Amino acid sequence: MNPPSLAPRAAPAVLSRVLAAIFGGYLMASMAVVLLSHLLPSSLPEAVLGATLFGFAFHVAAVIGVFAAASARRAWALLLGSSALMGALAGLLELLGAQP
Amino acid sequence: MKAGFRQSMAWLHTWGGLWFTWILFAIFLTGTLGVFDDAISHWMRDKGRAEAEAPLSAEARAEAVRTAQAFLAGEAPRADFWSIGLPAEDDPALRVSWREHDDGPVQRRRLDPASGEVMPASLTRETEGGHHFVHMHFEFHAGTAGIWVVGIATLAMLVALVSGIVVHKKIFTDFFTFRPGKGQRSWLDGHNALGVLTLPFLFMITYTGLTIFWATYMPAGIVARYDGSREAFFSALTEGPAPRPEQHVAADMVPMAPLLAVAEQALAREAAFVSVSHPGDRSAAMRVFGRFDPDADSDRLVGRSSGRVQFDAVTGELLDVQRPNTTRGGQVLAVQRTMNALHFVRFGGEPMKWLYFISGMAGSAMLATGAILFMVKRRRRSGDEFGSATPRVLQIIEALNVAGIVGLGLSCVAYLWINRLLPLGIEERAAWEIRLFFAVWLLTLVHASLRPPMRAWREQLAAAALLCLGLPLVNVLSTGDHLFAALSRGDGESAGVELTSLAFGIVFALAWVRLGARLRAGAAGRQAPGHAVEGL
Repeated sequence: MNPPSLAPRAAPAVLSRVLAAIFGGYLMASMAVVLLSHLLPSSLPEAVLGATLFGFAFHVAAVIGVFAAASARRAWALLLGSSALMGALAGLLELLGAQP
Repeated sequence: MKAGFRQSMAWLHTWGGLWFTWILFAIFLTGTLGVFDDAISHWMRDKGRAEAEAPLSAEARAEAVRTAQAFLAGEAPRADFWSIGLPAEDDPALRVSWREHDDGPVQRRRLDPASGEVMPASLTRETEGGHHFVHMHFEFHAGTAGIWVVGIATLAMLVALVSGIVVHKKIFTDFFTFRPGKGQRSWLDGHNALGVLTLPFLFMITYTGLTIFWATYMPAGIVARYDGSREAFFSALTEGPAPRPEQHVAADMVPMAPLLAVAEQALAREAAFVSVSHPGDRSAAMRVFGRFDPDADSDRLVGRSSGRVQFDAVTGELLDVQRPNTTRGGQVLAVQRTMNALHFVRFGGEPMKWLYFISGMAGSAMLATGAILFMVKRRRRSGDEFGSATPRVLQIIEALNVAGIVGLGLSCVAYLWINRLLPLGIEERAAWEIRLFFAVWLLTLVHASLRPPMRAWREQLAAAALLCLGLPLVNVLSTGDHLFAALSRGDGESAGVELTSLAFGIVFALAWVRLGARLRAGAAGRQAPGHAVEGL
């Protein structure tokens, strides 16, 4: 693929990627933190803290992924899809009352 | 690695880097100066020649707490919090502050510990000191909004580091490559060498910068797993006493001075600081904090508590004691505290601080060379990356480079000049020092937008050099204290500030001379267009 262009006609696609990187990436990282807080083998408060310490790395990976993706649409789909999946898994674990 | 991936990372590195570079440079430079915030405060308060205050007796400490409680009960009988800083060796004043509501402003007063009178401002060179740089570093004096701006820029820094590594194919060989005096190539070599040299430091300092504010930046875990109750969460995490939410029932508080003696006995250490949450409410709690021992933890990464004691401030009941040199919480909290200690360089003493200072300056230089490289490339051959607006946008970027790099350095040393030149005893003196700092910074931007780029660079370099080299002089003329006096009394903090300023003055002056020579060479050799600007 070619890197996104900054020419005016490419602006909507670039803007869409920037928004995906900031907000989509943040959503994905937050969902990963919540899911990880169910999986880490420590007490609940420590698991929440530990999961959050990893959260920023997830966000960085999401930003890299958004700009490496073939299109902005694909980047959004990946971020929203993985966020929904992780959110659903975390919700399931919460319902099952599964404490790490 | 696919060529397409490297290409998109190059795009991301260039543009993501560019738009955040000035704010990141400001964060890096002020954070690096902030490593020595205590030394800078010491110089700014003109404390070098002051005698250390005699330590207070236990009776005097209790008396100070009595004075503070009487004063605060008069000013704000019901409040969100009170805090009482007891007189110490470096500051004989009783420092009280309070906040009426949790979203209101914090009020601060300095009291005479014996009489309880507010100290007249003229007696002190009132200043934020080196804390100004620390506040610039993490919030730009803009509160929560500033913390978020810094957080977003910090994430962009991590992205720029990762994408920079991907772009940089020959990371090992290029580290040993520096081709000076070759224009664009030299700027790229410099950017690469500085970036690779400091890479582990940059990753560490950037990531730990984000995790300090982890609960602010990424509260998802707390929201989802604790219904957003931060008090309950932190009480569980730190194994502290149960939270005491405000009850909105008025209640008289016990005299706090006798509790201070109880606390000091429980800690077996003298108290330095007292706070009260929700004074005047049934939930009021008094906390006494032990005096910090700077030598206790310099060989440890995980700092230990200086000790604290909590009382019910209405009944006087002792609720909790954490003795000095102990830690609470599990291993993950210890990891997070270690990350904080790494960021704040709370270990290793002075040599480690200098190592951080040098690494931070190298990181700042890496950011500056990146921003300059962007323009050097485009001065030679500007495309149409912004359509018909390209020349105008490049002009703005150039002005931001001048003001964001040299202009900020100039403003930082100007802040020290302002401290010496502003009359003592004026209202809000500390706030005026900071306002004037921002005014100078804004002036550098105005200057950079009005002057031709190369002249703007040279003139600001010259001004910065003069301010840095003249700092010892303005100190002699304003306070009568000087470098040799500081050296002969063994005052390394005061001497260090002025010697460092002189060193930066020499660097600015050399850059000024070199840029001048380049420009003259360029003017003489018209047959080689673009040579001079490229050699900046």
